[in-house]
Amino acid sequence: MLSAARLHPFTPLAVAAAVVTTTTALGTWWVSLAVVLGCLALAAAAGVLARLAVASLAILAPAWGSQLIIHGLAGRAGEHVIAAAGPLRVTSEGLETAAGLGARLAVLVVAGLLCALLVDTHDLVAAVDSSPAPPQVGYLVAATLSLLPQLAARQRAIGEAQTLRGARAGRGPSGWWTRLRLRAVPLVLSSVHDAADRAPHLAARGFPPRSRVTRLRRVPDSTAQRRVRRLALAAAVVGPVAVLGVPVLLPAGGA
Amino acid sequence: MSHPLTLPAADQTRRGRGRLLTALGIVLLAGTYAALVATQPAGLVDGIGQGVALATFGAYLAAALLLLAAALPQLPPAALTLIPIALALNIVLGQFVGSVMIPLYLDSIGTVLVGFLAGRRAGAATGILGTLVWSLFNPTVLPFAAGAALVGFLAGTAARIGAVRRVYLAPVAGLVAGVLAGVVSAPVAAFVFGGTAGVGTGALVGAFRAMGDSLLGAVTKQALLSDPGDKAIVFLVVALLVYALPARLTSRFDFVRRHRVLGRRAAG
Repeated sequence: MLSAARLHPFTPLAVAAAVVTTTTALGTWWVSLAVVLGCLALAAAAGVLARLAVASLAILAPAWGSQLIIHGLAGRAGEHVIAAAGPLRVTSEGLETAAGLGARLAVLVVAGLLCALLVDTHDLVAAVDSSPAPPQVGYLVAATLSLLPQLAARQRAIGEAQTLRGARAGRGPSGWWTRLRLRAVPLVLSSVHDAADRAPHLAARGFPPRSRVTRLRRVPDSTAQRRVRRLALAAAVVGPVAVLGVPVLLPAGGA
Repeated sequence: MSHPLTLPAADQTRRGRGRLLTALGIVLLAGTYAALVATQPAGLVDGIGQGVALATFGAYLAAALLLLAAALPQLPPAALTLIPIALALNIVLGQFVGSVMIPLYLDSIGTVLVGFLAGRRAGAATGILGTLVWSLFNPTVLPFAAGAALVGFLAGTAARIGAVRRVYLAPVAGLVAGVLAGVVSAPVAAFVFGGTAGVGTGALVGAFRAMGDSLLGAVTKQALLSDPGDKAIVFLVVALLVYALPARLTSRFDFVRRHRVLGRRAAG
């Protein structure tokens, strides 16, 4: 099984950025397909294939549907009409455009989600803290990621408590509004109260620090990974410029 | 000599740097938007289209990061502790609303809450950070960070000029914010993704396209149908939530006291 435990969190992110920008610039369906299949193979090796497939399809299916409607059914471009009904025209050019856009989007979604699944969030927070980014960024990312499950659990508990005390919401828009009020008011009230209580403690501890503080968690890194990151970031910028600036580099079979 | 427990106020150098970064971010955003509207590139998946998609994605993301770098160092601890709560509320309440099949997003409740309680800088930072965190679960939202920042900024501006002192003014401010956010985000949807993320909104864009609109025109009209209503409801809901908070809690926020966001109640 592929292990991402020894990877610096920025390494897969930088490689993904280079892959996404260069693949988008190439705009070739078989390159996009190869990248998606490569990501799925990596996910299988890391044991996250099912999660990646489900999460990707949840995002891609409605987006592909939207692109098919906009370009495949209602597009105005194209001369090769396959079917027509009133203002709707299905053309081969429109379907090609929808397929090209779908492939472009698939690379972004699959590569991005694979990174999110491979990267350890604690390592990511530690890496952000160690980077030149303002110290507030690390705190905010860490606090948000830890608060998400807490608030979701609190929301469920509030819902159960409201049910136990016999609060009924009814149906239709007024029922929706009542449900939202019954959940949101206690949730927001308790959350803002917690935040306001935490602020003086944070200030008293001297946050944000004016100088670098020692990190207790060490993020896995190596000279080779640093080189890969530098190369990937350069490729993320230079790759698309080279591909779009020198059309000879564009492979045949573009969407 | 005793040391103060609270941090000193942001110095002039930091503020000057913040203004410079803000100006750069706004110029980059406005320049990209103006260029896209003026040229309206036709091909979406040929050489020009790919370049436009990457340039739009990069410029909008870079503008959002510049605005974040400008806002973050100037935020007080009260805003810093509120932002993670707001980001989590955006996701948790957004999911709750989505799960009851109401055709609204309501995914910016936390962002608007921070704008109302901690001001426009904090609101803009919340919008951007919320998008960055959410992109871990859905990478397609990344280039919409600038639009989310605008919503937070406008929420703070609305609170500052007194739109929350009367609850009925909040949805009006939300309508304006929705129009501006929809217009700013439309080029990303059109030129980066070639449409929208959902079938329902895609059908609307398709209908406008079939009636003869350009892609940018159709996406903008769809955004103008969806966003103002959504933001009007969000602004109203958050205004009601803020009034439901006890005065001893809201008065802890310097922005609420200084700009009398809740009118006479803020003094409580």
